[in-house]
Amino acid sequence: MTTSVEASGDLAPAWILAALILAAVSLVFLAVELWRAPRRGVAPLVAVTGVLAVAALVGALLRPVSVSRSGSLVGPRLVVLVDASKSIDLPADGDETRRAVATRGIAALLERSREVRQTFLSFGEGEPTKVPDPSAPFAVAPMPRSDLLSALESLAEGNDERPSAIVVLSDGRLDRPSDVGVDVSVREALGGLSVPIHTVPLARAAPQDATVRAVRVAGAAVAHQAFDLRVEVGCHGGLSCGDIPVTVRELRDQGEPVLLEKGVARIEGQTGVVALPLMLHRTGARVLEVAITPPEGDTLPDDDVRYVTIDVSRDRVRLLHIAGRATYDVRALRTWLKSDASIDVVAFFILRSPTDDVGATQDELALIPFPVDELFSVHLPSFDAVVLQDFNAEVYGLTQHLPALARYVKAGGGLVMVGGPDAFGPGRYASSPIGDVLPIALGPEHVRPGVDLAWFTPRFTEAGAFAPMLGPLRDVLGSDLPPMPGTNLVGRPREDATVLLEHPTLTAGDVPMPILAVAEIGTGRSVALTVDGSHRLAFSSFAAGSAGRAHGAFWDGIVGWLMRDPRYESAGLSLARSCLAGEEAKLVVRSLPSEGAEIAVEIVRLGSGEVVHTSKVPIAAKGKPTEVAIGRLPAGGYRASVEIRKGKGKAPVVRQDFACEKGGDEWADPRPDVERLRLIAQATGGSLVEVKDLGRLDLPAATPVDAERQVHPVAPPWAWTSAAACLLGAHWLVRRRRGLS
Amino acid sequence: MSRLVLPRRDLLRASVAAPLGLALSVGAGRADAFGEEGAFHPRVVLAGDAKWEGVRATAPARWSEELARRTSAPARLRPATVRADAPDLLAEPFAIWTGATDVPALTPREVANLRRFLTLGGILFVDDQEPATGSFGRAARRELARVVPEQTPIAIGPENVVFRSFYLLRKAAGRIAGPPKLDAIVRGGAVQVVFGKHDLLGALATGAGGVPTMAIEGGPEAQREIAVRLAVNLAMYVLCSNYKDDQVHAEHLMRRRGSAR
Repeated sequence: MTTSVEASGDLAPAWILAALILAAVSLVFLAVELWRAPRRGVAPLVAVTGVLAVAALVGALLRPVSVSRSGSLVGPRLVVLVDASKSIDLPADGDETRRAVATRGIAALLERSREVRQTFLSFGEGEPTKVPDPSAPFAVAPMPRSDLLSALESLAEGNDERPSAIVVLSDGRLDRPSDVGVDVSVREALGGLSVPIHTVPLARAAPQDATVRAVRVAGAAVAHQAFDLRVEVGCHGGLSCGDIPVTVRELRDQGEPVLLEKGVARIEGQTGVVALPLMLHRTGARVLEVAITPPEGDTLPDDDVRYVTIDVSRDRVRLLHIAGRATYDVRALRTWLKSDASIDVVAFFILRSPTDDVGATQDELALIPFPVDELFSVHLPSFDAVVLQDFNAEVYGLTQHLPALARYVKAGGGLVMVGGPDAFGPGRYASSPIGDVLPIALGPEHVRPGVDLAWFTPRFTEAGAFAPMLGPLRDVLGSDLPPMPGTNLVGRPREDATVLLEHPTLTAGDVPMPILAVAEIGTGRSVALTVDGSHRLAFSSFAAGSAGRAHGAFWDGIVGWLMRDPRYESAGLSLARSCLAGEEAKLVVRSLPSEGAEIAVEIVRLGSGEVVHTSKVPIAAKGKPTEVAIGRLPAGGYRASVEIRKGKGKAPVVRQDFACEKGGDEWADPRPDVERLRLIAQATGGSLVEVKDLGRLDLPAATPVDAERQVHPVAPPWAWTSAAACLLGAHWLVRRRRGLS
Repeated sequence: MSRLVLPRRDLLRASVAAPLGLALSVGAGRADAFGEEGAFHPRVVLAGDAKWEGVRATAPARWSEELARRTSAPARLRPATVRADAPDLLAEPFAIWTGATDVPALTPREVANLRRFLTLGGILFVDDQEPATGSFGRAARRELARVVPEQTPIAIGPENVVFRSFYLLRKAAGRIAGPPKLDAIVRGGAVQVVFGKHDLLGALATGAGGVPTMAIEGGPEAQREIAVRLAVNLAMYVLCSNYKDDQVHAEHLMRRRGSAR
């Protein structure tokens, strides 16, 4: 309980100040008057009555009250941001990890919980999250980033009580703020929140270590075009490095990684950079292993290898179009391919067979030999996709190259087989290696006769009715398709294939015979179109109704899907955040809204082909992304395959390769950055404090909070007024008697 | 799978090797089978009340036969005719318009149908049977100017892909020697209408036993071979578009043309 005297509560501070100033001026005038008076003996009595009169007047104006309070002191709110990035699992200065030091720091702050109200948050990626039990060892799952600015922005913009101070426990190796313009970035992040940030380093000394510090693509990685992979190697902690060998290998679906390039990074100061020229032929996400051979004494072997995902784009789709003879179907496809500026088409059409009688010498002909051996033994990898249209493998010497063509598809190439009298079975592809990479089965029974001559109208399957790949065609034609003049006979679709169009009457086993089927083969894709009448979408009485646009829409979807154009994929795949080995990873699937559909996910390890995860989840409602937990994965490369299933139908498989690393970017540079922590503290008026000194950290003072407050007037107003009147009268009488005016 | 099925390509090859008179022909009205629906089909387009008869009536079949005999391209061995205002004109991308005399103005339906044919990507070959008078040629140009008013014909010669789509041709020829070049309406680099002043169908016309029925004028009998080669090249252009303009062929063909001079 405390008691104090205050002015009446109905007076504004300005009026109180004015009254006090007026009283002070009156007293000064009185003193000057008495000092100049001729008779000194009058002064004491006049002075006493004057002072009392002024005091009574002030009392009458202020009407003082006695205030009795009872309450308590409340400590200021202190937010403690603890670095939860993966780098805190690196060693600190002694034998312990930075995480253990953070635990000690939290414990030291908890001892001051009587002085301050503490909120412990962990930061890494996005908004900070509450530390579940600060009194337990700090065990928050590590994150692949260390973004302090996002955490500060969240505090500044949040609706919670504003903190009086912030304490940051970190090793200082932050993604944000970077080491440039620290003060400006931090102040901008805090916005209107003007509080000191005290920083606490979790480590000071750099470990003795050589590391792959960064892997960057100079410019963009474009298929079939050389580009430089710049590898930055770090060496610190007193390790003697010199020249460090660097190797880059590509992880493939099956087998050992393939060596792409070797080089040497010469360390000068603490870093060395080597630019390795690479050329990748397959587009999409490719997982590369970048490794160094560290010198003796390297204490952190885990950061000697990085797995990086390189997104290989394409300048133009390079497509090989081979046709066994010239027909209107070939004409229509070629016209469309040539009209698309994004496709670089190399075409070879068989215009003359060995039995044709041209009636002219070779010099009179505009024919060149079909370079089948050169094409399929030398140039094949340079193509993104191969279209075999009504092409007989046996007659034109392709048979011996079919194994290479099958390997090409499995390694990421695209293949389209278009129907005709010399396609599929009659084209001598049955029981060949190509059979392994087509979406449909081909057996000896499909060789002769191999075709059905009856006209028919293909129909959409359930998958074909919602697959984005046929979306443009459906947009143009709706559900109508033109009649087709017969079809090649093929067998059942592969287990993992998707049938988009089927025959209305013919069957393959117990299912309708596929007309258009697609499949993901290894890292490649293949399409089987068993008819040779798609030109009727471009030029026919039927096509006239859509001005021939349906043909382009149809092939746009086929080639687009083959080339993994996102517009034609059944779903978009990405990781919720960078994958860290041993930590729970999540896949984000974005697909068109489809009620009742489910997502089947399979994760396969690159190299071994081992299936490490499978799951099925219902698709999120209203087109929202669906998050699928894919478990804790060891370091390496992985392929995520996703299939959208609805009823009996299933959309074509979507795949995405990704890498999972032990430490990722967070371990690429294990040196603590105490200087950055000092700059952060300096920019906000805070201080850099060691963990052992946290007990002495200067924290804001506590704020008193009233629980009870009683107010009593010192005297009633009339008493103050009466006293002032009497004393003023007495003062006047004394002044008259002493000869003062 | 109980339906009767036939190996069509084998049948087609057999037809090429067979004597002309025994040649197997597919349905005249529309291609009825797998592998043949996309075959080259030299249809004769008839405007107004025109009929297709006379000595040149065998020429389209000869055109197909020569194409099938000399190349790997399939062809309809019994070609059909089609009316200029019929929906069937839009069924396939090639048609021949031929005549010897002036023709009456195309009806609005014929104009509209021919315009749709060309807009879809069709190719029309206009063959003047009497280039000496030029009556049909002038009439055809006049009427086609109503179909594609924004385009005017230009001369095309050996530099154009039509002259190297199968054979390397230095000049055009038919029953009549005519000018070495053809005229063509070209849009976006693609030939849409070809005008010939050589009576190409006259050179192709045959009688019983495959004997030519019309004598060559203005040159030796070898001119007929040039006419056949031009017909094959036109067919190959229809089937392959500008395939022989591809870079992969360019150097090779340039060298060959150089050595042939």
